[in-house]
Amino acid sequence: MALDDEAVMSEVRAGDVARLELLFDRHQPALVRYFAYLTGNRSLGEGLAQDAFFRVLKYRHTYQSGASFRAWLYQIGRNVYADHLGRHKAEVAMPQEAVEMRGSETPPDREFQKKQEAMLVQKALDALPGEKRELLILSRFQEMKYDEIAAVLQCEVGTVKVRVYRAMRELSDRFFALSGEKAS
Amino acid sequence: MNCERIREQIPECLAGRLDAAAREKLVEHLESCAGCRADLAELNAVWRAMESLKSAKQEAPDPAAKARFLDMLEAYRAGMGVAVEMPVRRAGGFASRPVWQAAMAAGLLVLGVFAGRYLALPRQENPEVAQLKGQVESLRQLVALSMMQQQSPGARLRGVSYSEQIAQPDSQVQQALLYTVNHDSNVNVRLSAVDALQKFSGNPEVARAMIDAIYVQESPLVQVALIDMLVQTSARSVAPAMAKLAKDAQVDEVVRQRAAWALERLGGTR
Repeated sequence: MALDDEAVMSEVRAGDVARLELLFDRHQPALVRYFAYLTGNRSLGEGLAQDAFFRVLKYRHTYQSGASFRAWLYQIGRNVYADHLGRHKAEVAMPQEAVEMRGSETPPDREFQKKQEAMLVQKALDALPGEKRELLILSRFQEMKYDEIAAVLQCEVGTVKVRVYRAMRELSDRFFALSGEKAS
Repeated sequence: MNCERIREQIPECLAGRLDAAAREKLVEHLESCAGCRADLAELNAVWRAMESLKSAKQEAPDPAAKARFLDMLEAYRAGMGVAVEMPVRRAGGFASRPVWQAAMAAGLLVLGVFAGRYLALPRQENPEVAQLKGQVESLRQLVALSMMQQQSPGARLRGVSYSEQIAQPDSQVQQALLYTVNHDSNVNVRLSAVDALQKFSGNPEVARAMIDAIYVQESPLVQVALIDMLVQTSARSVAPAMAKLAKDAQVDEVVRQRAAWALERLGGTR
């Protein structure tokens, strides 16, 4: 039977650092997506995920046995992103696709509609304050449960619940303002 | 239950994570509350749009990212001094870089000659052995310094790790590591360089340079690593700098807290 993440991380902490490869295989793709959502840039997301795994290695002795590995990894990921923002304050990621699709005359088939929805929601997401965007990424795209998000953000589960709703509410307002319509 | 409490449950409901009892209460409320129904309809539409975005972002992992990770892992293990046998499939990535391939080969040759001729001899220092040891050390330094100047952060990281294996690094390595701490664009390389400076931390000149480096750094992580390294020297001369840092409003709060902690460890007063 495959070992769970926490058992593998305990081995890494004990000095068997080669075992980190297994955790990399399990979590790197999702972590890249997390950073890609935050930055709007997949290749930058890969670089930041690499940084995060390097820090897992470097600070492996600070991992506490039994604690959720994924929550700990995303705590590290948040620090990596915060450092990245500190270095690139002037840079604001904007999805290039949004500009290209606005004037498109493609017939409104389902595929196009989905693409346009994705583009609008990305734009609405980019316009959200950082903490709200991050909450929605963790909840909706990383499919984390509220207790896991609470562990990542180091706050109460009830707080996560309220904040996720408010973030969804604001995203919805921005999304419909961009699309110029309301849900029926 | 009031509307606010009900609406806070909508994201969980859309994610399918609401338990049966809570879902039943939600449905019951929605039947009699047009405002909450409208809220659910809007959030549901956005939820679906997010699914479209999620599908658009699903890309296959880049195999190069895995290769870079394995390179980094190997460099780190080399730095730890862990004796490991490298799997065949990974050997190519490390050994095929032409920049220092020749230097590595020459190093191995000198090591081989050295081991073959002198390993079986009783432990006694003779001038020839000492000379060969010096040559090997010089070669290692050369390789480490060359790698630290490479364009790729992975190569520089390996250079820093490699420098840690040098038994008696000279001031050139010390200066290269300090330069890396202050100027390398990659935070991971800077962090590794801080670790590699441990060998020199007893040198008051290096300790002073590390204190200066704290103010140059933009990453709190590197600043904290520098403070930790200075604490390990247990030099009282570091205490005044820590006291100043602990009160400096310009630096990150985490760094100030760490400096205050360092001051306590060093037996200074706040």
